[in-house]
Amino acid sequence: MLKYFLISCSALFLFACKNDSKKEASKELNVYTHRHYESDQQLFNFFEEKTGIKVNVINASADELIQKMTLEGANSPADVLITVDAGRLYRAKENDLLQPITSILLNEIIPSHLKDKENYWFGVTKRARIIVYAKERVTPEELSTYEDLATEKWNKRLIVRSSGNIYNQSLMASILVNHDEGFAKKWSAGIVKNMARSPKGNDRDQVKAIFAGEGDITIINTYYLGNMLDSDDSEEVKAATGVGVFFPNQESTGAHINVSGAGVAKYAPNKENAIRFIEFLVSKDAQKIFALSNHEYSVNKNVPMSETLKSWGEFKEDTLNLSLLGENNKNAVILLDETGWK
Amino acid sequence: MKQAGSNTIFSLKNRLFRLKRDSNRWSIITLVVVFLIALPVISIAVKLFDGPGETWSHIVAHLLFQYVYNSFYLLVVCSVLVLLFGVTTSWLVSRFEFPFRKQLEWLLILPLAIPSYIVAYAYAGIFDYGGTLELIQRFMGLQFTRIDIMNRFGLAFVLSISLFPYVYVSSRAFFLNQANNLLEASRVLGVKEWNSFFKLILPLARPAIIAGLILVLMEVLNDYGAATYFGVSTFTTGIFRSWFSLEEPETAIYLSALLVLLVFALILFEKWQRRHIQFTNSKSGNKRIYRKKISKKMQLLILVMVSFPVLFGFLLPLAQLLYWGFLTYSAVFEYQFLLLSLQTFGIAFITATFTVIFATLLIFSAKWNKIGVIKNLSRLGVLGYAIPGAVVAIGVMIPTIFIDKWLIGTMHSIFSYTSGFLIHGTLIALVYAYVIRFLAVAYNPIESTTLKVSNTIPDASKTLGVGNFKTFFKIEFPLIKTGILSAFILVFIDVLKELPLTLILKPFHINTLAVKAFEYASDERVMEAAIPSLFIIFTATIPVIFLNRLLAKN
Amino acid sequence: MVRIESLSKSFDKGKTFALKDVSFSLKEGDVYAIVGESGSGKTTLIRLIAGLETPDSGFIELNGIQVSSIKKMVSPEKRNIGLVFQEYALFPHLSLLDNILYGISKLKNKKDRAQEVLELVGLAEMKDRYPHQLSGGQQQRVALARALAPKPSLLILDEPFSNLDSMLRSQLRNEVFDIIKKTGVTAIFVTHDTQDALSVADEILILQGGKLVQKDQAANLYTKPTSVYVASLFGNTIQLSKELQSVFECPLKTDCCHAIRNENIAINDECEYVTHATVLKKTFLGNDTQLLIKLDNGEHLTVITKHNNITERITIGFNSKDVLEFRE
Repeated sequence: MLKYFLISCSALFLFACKNDSKKEASKELNVYTHRHYESDQQLFNFFEEKTGIKVNVINASADELIQKMTLEGANSPADVLITVDAGRLYRAKENDLLQPITSILLNEIIPSHLKDKENYWFGVTKRARIIVYAKERVTPEELSTYEDLATEKWNKRLIVRSSGNIYNQSLMASILVNHDEGFAKKWSAGIVKNMARSPKGNDRDQVKAIFAGEGDITIINTYYLGNMLDSDDSEEVKAATGVGVFFPNQESTGAHINVSGAGVAKYAPNKENAIRFIEFLVSKDAQKIFALSNHEYSVNKNVPMSETLKSWGEFKEDTLNLSLLGENNKNAVILLDETGWK
Repeated sequence: MKQAGSNTIFSLKNRLFRLKRDSNRWSIITLVVVFLIALPVISIAVKLFDGPGETWSHIVAHLLFQYVYNSFYLLVVCSVLVLLFGVTTSWLVSRFEFPFRKQLEWLLILPLAIPSYIVAYAYAGIFDYGGTLELIQRFMGLQFTRIDIMNRFGLAFVLSISLFPYVYVSSRAFFLNQANNLLEASRVLGVKEWNSFFKLILPLARPAIIAGLILVLMEVLNDYGAATYFGVSTFTTGIFRSWFSLEEPETAIYLSALLVLLVFALILFEKWQRRHIQFTNSKSGNKRIYRKKISKKMQLLILVMVSFPVLFGFLLPLAQLLYWGFLTYSAVFEYQFLLLSLQTFGIAFITATFTVIFATLLIFSAKWNKIGVIKNLSRLGVLGYAIPGAVVAIGVMIPTIFIDKWLIGTMHSIFSYTSGFLIHGTLIALVYAYVIRFLAVAYNPIESTTLKVSNTIPDASKTLGVGNFKTFFKIEFPLIKTGILSAFILVFIDVLKELPLTLILKPFHINTLAVKAFEYASDERVMEAAIPSLFIIFTATIPVIFLNRLLAKN
Repeated sequence: MVRIESLSKSFDKGKTFALKDVSFSLKEGDVYAIVGESGSGKTTLIRLIAGLETPDSGFIELNGIQVSSIKKMVSPEKRNIGLVFQEYALFPHLSLLDNILYGISKLKNKKDRAQEVLELVGLAEMKDRYPHQLSGGQQQRVALARALAPKPSLLILDEPFSNLDSMLRSQLRNEVFDIIKKTGVTAIFVTHDTQDALSVADEILILQGGKLVQKDQAANLYTKPTSVYVASLFGNTIQLSKELQSVFECPLKTDCCHAIRNENIAINDECEYVTHATVLKKTFLGNDTQLLIKLDNGEHLTVITKHNNITERITIGFNSKDVLEFRE
């Protein structure tokens, strides 16, 4: 009875409510994205201008988008899924939501550790998770590795945000992969012991707290610091200029990096447009927008860094294949919980 | 002998006869409405049978205690604060005359207009390093004394100060409608104002107050943004963690179920509390409101007391947002915001209308139906508010996509036409989800005003030959109009700020201000989120002022 | 015109009964009173008749048509029963006239009818007022007019005078029942006050604990009560225990209970059965005098007398025709 009721209702609304998400005309592209950056809208507009393809966007967290795509199944209007970390793309692939694509261009531009081995997804920008320190109380010589942060010498001097944050989870996963479970657990426990305060706030807040002296070092993503330097709030600029930047693990594995990436949905109604879009994202023009307006590192080596990033210098990055971060995310979270990293 | 008699009267056969006699179309309508509302919850609850995921024991061992402890802490502290802010202010504005009373009366609703996570950011922006407080202190040549609000108590304070209007609105409706008569009576008997407040008014106002309080508590349990930002792990942050970080929806559903049980216990507790009390007062009494004239000193004192929650719940965060808005104005502002405001307003208006209709339908069809079980069932309709928006969204997607797929298949086989989704991804699914989520918000004020109308009033109408439906429109609707209007305002404002559900279910071509604010905030561009937040406040203010006028007139 | 057969109602699924196995029938045009203490089931009974409650067993017939049973329910709006609620239940947002027009909106000459009933209750000049502008007695009369306007075949009044003070009460009682008699409608009214019932009802139904204990004319209830409870409703009685019987030397049947009404006790008068007593205390009650007396066997009694020159020693007595007999 309910079914019929609903059917008649939806039949009524069929004409009243246009759902233009799945027209056969391929002048459209439906993007599910977790990126909420200002620069992204610029990119979409740019793409529309260039190709005449209209970009429709759904913004939500990657997990919710994955759930949504799973439920929608073969009828999903999604063409492209964009996330802010490789782990979620790995999960989308595991859940059979993406399809492999062949694009010579993409394979040429993107280094192999920044994309899926089977071409299900591609990293489009990257960022490093680095150590930021209070210049008056810490010298760069005292700093060395992520592993070192868990040692006695940083007792009550470390500030870090919650382990609910995906970047911390990914970092933990990289420690787990680069070492083993026992080590990772000890490391996490050491970090918790060294915390100067219980985890709270976002990356920017960590920088402010370091500058104000609540702790001496913290771990944050590069582009947040870059954006703080561009802030309209002079206090944020002051805090960001007052702290030092250190790329850890330069003698060993390299600084932990993560990517914002994109993949083509398995049932993409506009597959051609989707491939074109991802190719566009790694093009020089698009990468410039990423690099300049949001201080991200380009995956296209022909694109220069922003002035801010340049001032921090070149660094050695961890070339661990990012799929491994996705694979180990859950174990990482369990270890974080067990060691009491809130 | 008596036993034997009652056995035959209550034999299965006779029960069935009576069941058949008592089932009317209202029973069916109630069932349909409850089913529609509960469908998403059921879709998710079915998954409970799969058992929790493998990390359940991990959660129990390492996290559950913290979740329970923090959630209870928030429930208790928020209850105290919200009652303090909500009940005193509503009492003072409805009993006393003092300067700026009229303005304060609607300003007291406005803290609701700022999403609580934005209030949390604003507070952090005021009190944190390099915040407004530090700037002011520096300007005045003072030493910076930092007040750390990013902790459990800070969270409770921020949530209370931004949510207390729920209690304010529902208890004020009671005080304006009822208290005069009662007070006149008790004053004649020589009881002092304060005495009569505690002895007479407060116990009578309890259902109204509790109804507001339960909304607050559900919202508190549901908060995600402010809690994560302040680093407090609650049930809801736990649900998100197990769903997304631990990749186990099953476990998240288990946690949700616990949360729902908690809310259910709250509702039952409230029901049990008022089990013996009949809250009906048929004489709707003198409409003229007497506000007591008091000395200048007292007026000042009351002004300060009433201004406090307005200051901390609305003006202070508003000032911070205005400051941020001023800093980021040139970079963020677009004329598109005006269009976006209009769109958001439209969605909120449609949703509020539907929610109020559904809530009223549920309350009255349950009342007109004669089967006890179904009556009790109708209470289930309010559970949606307890469930995190993201979970409701998933719950809505399961049945709507199921039906959609069936529809697509049928249409394809009959007309060989392949369409996109017809419900999912359209405004219908979004509004449907909103209705489920906010039904409780509308249900409570309408129910508490309905309780105030004595049952004999509709009974009288029926014995005069007028049926249920007509009685509702001619008699009950005019009498519960205040409740319906309050419900409308509350839902309207809630929709303006709603987030996770909107993010997941919104159609491609529709956007809301809250989504815009969130895009900035989630990118840690909190300052830039100020402009869309200000637009939310602006959009919420118009109906608040307008409807407040209407309420005052009634 | 009303027939009720083994009607029962329980609000807790059979644990207790608000009404248990009640049967009676009422004649057209008469006025009936339902008397009982609070909790005796009288309000439940009238709500059942009006169709506002559903019975758990038994049935109700109105004018030969079954309206309530366990298989069938005619909804209240189709019963043509007028109901005046205890708290009047006037519609607060409607004027007096609109309150009355409410039930007769389908009538052609509704304005005239409204005017007619308003005049009947003497409130025609107040028709534009709102309920809260009226006194209790006026509200009562509006409620009556509103119930009478659709010309109900049965009028029910639930505790019509309980909200009024005693002065107003007897005055209004007479007024209201004059109006009812004028219209000739069959009426049932519920009361816990026997005085109300005695003064206006043609017949009285007595409910106790959800059961109908007696239904009869006022005079019969007084002279032939079927239980001590009924007898005690209409004035003080003295139970004639074995001891009292021997004091008065009046042997009565042993398998019955007996009582004598206080007003049938004669003091210093010729009687069939007499005995002597000592007056312990006199209380002047205006018309009467209340005496606390001690019989010779040491038993204390309270009696009322119209005599005003009572000495310390008196004789008291009664006649056998005044002895009430109950099988209990």
